[in-house]
Amino acid sequence: MTMMKRCEDIRDRIGAWMDGELSRSGAEEVRVHLESCPACCEERRQLEKLQASLRAVLVAGPSNVSFERFWSGVEQRINRKRVWHEDFFGWARDLSTPPQLAWLVPAVIILVLMGVFSLESFFPGSRLAVRRNNFAAVESIDGFGRNVAVLRENETKTTIIWLYQNQEGEDESTGEKTDASPSF
Amino acid sequence: MEFSDWDLVQKCQAGETSAFQELVSRYQQKIFMVVLGLLRDREDSMEVAQEAFFRAYRKIKGFKGGSSFYTWLYRIAVNMAIDAQRRQKRNPLEFRENMDGVLEEQNEVEKDPFSNAHDKELRAGLIAAINDLTAEHKAVIILRTVEGLPYRDIGEILGCSEGTVMSRLHYARKKLRGKLKAFL
Repeated sequence: MTMMKRCEDIRDRIGAWMDGELSRSGAEEVRVHLESCPACCEERRQLEKLQASLRAVLVAGPSNVSFERFWSGVEQRINRKRVWHEDFFGWARDLSTPPQLAWLVPAVIILVLMGVFSLESFFPGSRLAVRRNNFAAVESIDGFGRNVAVLRENETKTTIIWLYQNQEGEDESTGEKTDASPSF
Repeated sequence: MEFSDWDLVQKCQAGETSAFQELVSRYQQKIFMVVLGLLRDREDSMEVAQEAFFRAYRKIKGFKGGSSFYTWLYRIAVNMAIDAQRRQKRNPLEFRENMDGVLEEQNEVEKDPFSNAHDKELRAGLIAAINDLTAEHKAVIILRTVEGLPYRDIGEILGCSEGTVMSRLHYARKKLRGKLKAFL
């Protein structure tokens, strides 16, 4: 490992080392490197100063916070009768946290798709609705060296059968020249 | 006789509200400080902390003791604070006034570690830099710096792995250091 790469690797771990979160061997590796590398030592010094400043800002906090009325605030909430929409919004808020949201997104997509597909039942002739009787199917089979695509239009009872040969496949297997254009 | 958290939880589950009051008095200050670290607004933080305890009270029957009570409680409070912070970011003007109030109060802390002008600039820069962090980065910084929690507990609270905690802390510190380079 080059020196620069090694320093980068160590610098990524100095914070965890200061937090005492590295394995024994990992911590020893960082310690030994810091003894011989002034640049990484400087990085450590900066991180220590940052950490001390963070502690001073975040832990000090405002001096005159009183907790005397804290419990009464919680108790009031416990004793207050909640109206149904507060409970509903609380439930909805719980649902909107990221892990639940991961399930919610596909669930909403499925519901929307189901809604779109069932529109025709409620609003016959709606432009938004997916028409069930306009059904198209494309099938691809390989029989006698040909592929078959079938397109059915159920409303007018029209079926289009499209036969074509797979030129690439033919070339590979037989080397014969084939016409790739569709024949009806 | 001092009851353990789990004893008190079981009493709560049996319907003893006084046991919950004891849990509140044990953790009110810690929860408030964590929420304040995330929101930087004293009134909002008090509201969110009380609401977090209320929510814990409502859910306590479902708490089976799979994790420690405090990580479970922190999880509720941190998630609520992150939600509140996102709302704050959408309406920054609404809380600007209160945030300045907190900063002034913090300047009144008797043993101010930021005594000279250079350090005061560092403090102001640090607060601005913390506020620029994403909610997830801010949460790991607060839980590590204010509470000194191990990565495993932070992971449990935030619903992520220890590796993710390590990586978030690394990038959060890197961002803070980048913004405060002139002061460190």
